[in-house]
Amino acid sequence: MNQMHGIIFSYEKKTGLRELIEHRIHGSIPFAGDYRVVDFMLSNMVNAGVRDVGVIMHGKCQSLLDHLGSGKSWDLSRNYGGLTLLPAFAYAEHREGGGQFRGKLEALGCVRDYLWSIRQDYVVLCDSDLVINIPLDDVLQRHITAGADITAVCTSVLGGRDDVYFKLDENSRIIDTAYDLFAPSGYRCLQIFVMKTSLLQQLVDECMAHNQYSFQHHVLQDRVQALYLNAYVWDGYAAHIGTVQDYYQRSMELLRGDVRAELFCPERPVYAKENGSASTYIDPTGECTTSLIADGCDIQGRVKHCVVFRGVKIEQGADVENCILFKGTVVKKGAILRHVITDKHVVISENRTLMGAEDYPMVIGRDTVV
Amino acid sequence: MKKECVAMLLAGGQGSRLYVLTGNMAKPAVPFGGKFRIIDFPLSNCTNSGIDTVGVLTQYRPLELNSYIGNGQPWELDRLDGGVHILPPYQSADGASWYKGTANAIYQNIGFVDLYDPDYVAVLSGDHIYKMDYAAMLRRHKECGADCTISVMEVPWHEASRFGIMNVDENDNITEFEEKPKEPKSNLASMGIYIFSWRKLRQYLIADEADPDSANDFGKNVIPAMLRAGEKMVVYRFDGYWKDVGTLDSLWDANMDMLLPGSGLNLLDRKWPIYSRTPSCPPAFIGADADVGNSVVAKGCTILGEVKNTVLSYDTTVGEGASVSYSVVMPGAVIEDGAKVRYAIVGENCRIGKDTVVGAPPETAEDPDQWGITVLGPNCVVAQGDAVPAAAMRDGEVKA
Repeated sequence: MNQMHGIIFSYEKKTGLRELIEHRIHGSIPFAGDYRVVDFMLSNMVNAGVRDVGVIMHGKCQSLLDHLGSGKSWDLSRNYGGLTLLPAFAYAEHREGGGQFRGKLEALGCVRDYLWSIRQDYVVLCDSDLVINIPLDDVLQRHITAGADITAVCTSVLGGRDDVYFKLDENSRIIDTAYDLFAPSGYRCLQIFVMKTSLLQQLVDECMAHNQYSFQHHVLQDRVQALYLNAYVWDGYAAHIGTVQDYYQRSMELLRGDVRAELFCPERPVYAKENGSASTYIDPTGECTTSLIADGCDIQGRVKHCVVFRGVKIEQGADVENCILFKGTVVKKGAILRHVITDKHVVISENRTLMGAEDYPMVIGRDTVV
Repeated sequence: MKKECVAMLLAGGQGSRLYVLTGNMAKPAVPFGGKFRIIDFPLSNCTNSGIDTVGVLTQYRPLELNSYIGNGQPWELDRLDGGVHILPPYQSADGASWYKGTANAIYQNIGFVDLYDPDYVAVLSGDHIYKMDYAAMLRRHKECGADCTISVMEVPWHEASRFGIMNVDENDNITEFEEKPKEPKSNLASMGIYIFSWRKLRQYLIADEADPDSANDFGKNVIPAMLRAGEKMVVYRFDGYWKDVGTLDSLWDANMDMLLPGSGLNLLDRKWPIYSRTPSCPPAFIGADADVGNSVVAKGCTILGEVKNTVLSYDTTVGEGASVSYSVVMPGAVIEDGAKVRYAIVGENCRIGKDTVVGAPPETAEDPDQWGITVLGPNCVVAQGDAVPAAAMRDGEVKA
């Protein structure tokens, strides 16, 4: 316990998340009715005994800052350590102007003082756009047993061209790292890395001194010989939220019992921020099937095959199917929705009909009245 | 540090009229309304009213209640100064004794109240479901220059003889207090919620303790003594939803009120939130063949069968082909496939086996006087194919 420190990267990247990240960064995208994407990784860390976590953020981080607060929802509000929020203020001094981080090493270089104050021997790095429930304590144990320099979590489930892929030898050592693959093959990197804190500090200093900023390029690729890179293969549920289509498909998957059983396994609970909403009320006129329903909803219409967040109101005669409704959405009388994602506090007026497509769901931006 | 008003919450009640349902816990720890416990209501009222120092007087089987309240964080009562404090009876230099009555419980904690040197003390009860602004009541107390303000509500005249009734003059000064009068002169029922000026109450508590014939009870002794002495006592009229859930029927009724739009119990209203401590669980899942209507559904539920006119607490399961109606299902209970549950209170973590029948609707009863709500205590297991008739009560565990 308490031998590993957590670092979560949450900053703007080029993605196809459209309206979903208009007001927020990845980590604070609502997911699974009750959560934000970052909750899963924070819970993974807390469940593995991690008690100090730093979140490096940049860009539209107001929503993430609001969500994380003192960290008390994840038991990370401590007198010493606990949750450290790291908006990269040093960034502007480091390079000219704004823009995005060029890579993880650059982001870490911007919070060097913090990096040197870490009191645990090991550190786990991960992104905030991955929904996963993984035993990180097991990853650490395997890392120590293997005697590796860096352990990377990866999966045999292939993804898109944007992902990083590893080639492994028979001992699960990573022998090649590649990205921008037209025909993905090998093991897809899930962007979770475990290593000694001292190694990370050394790598950051070395790389910053040589204008090397990308973890995947300048460490995983360039140092594949110099370092012992070990793979931890995880073939359980792992949803990378990179595009609206990913988001929609991965959300709808939650309506399957086997997926929920894996993501919400009782031995590793996922902690959400409590907001004191009451239980949901389903009216006599309400009809609700094959759906996930969070607390505090008032359902008087028909809901089928949906993920419904907290405090959603669906009025009589409204008909909602294959939709994802974020917190505080109101669907008024007689409105019909198909394949629609409504962001927070969207109001769909009476008798409106909105149709998205399964492979191109319609997204209604935050606070919109349709 | 000095506080204007400290709340003392009487949570020591044994809850003997809730029979098997209290199991190993004190009455205020009994679940309510899907994701709450009864004590959430007074605690949240305190926080919402700006009272940040609360003493919770516990006595009977306090473990569950103590661990539920913890540091008070869900109710925002984890404060640097003040906050929520559990106050069990303790041993002092001149011996130890149980809380002999409601007034004695406060008497034994005069030291605690004095720590905060308050001008006023609110004495609250741990078994009521209501949303009330104690700050408004305190304003009235101060405006009237009262020594004691008792909150009352108008009840139907024909029910007045079941309550403690306050008779008042034209200025709402209390002239007489009658406990369950046969012929009530007023229909203002005491809600068991008091605000006292602390210095005055302190004197009366000490005097009451010195009286060997006293039952050391607010309603029986302290209030009548203050009235006799001519202290300034006024009523505070409350017209919102309020229910004492001290009996099984009233607990069931109050849960059902959540399903009744006109009942006045609206917990979805965010202006006066009721906070609770609940474990983390994913949103409720409602299956393809489920049929849910007029029901409260909390997070963590899995519903595959039929649920009508029911309050389902968090983390409960209703299997395929099972049907639940007019029932209150407490956290963690499992109702297996094909089981039928009607007019029942199902305690925490009960397991109702396949194809069992629990409870029955009133219209099926041969003798309506014999009919009643069926109650299963916490951890009760109903074996497959078994039946628990109407009005039956089953205990789930050996009491410690």
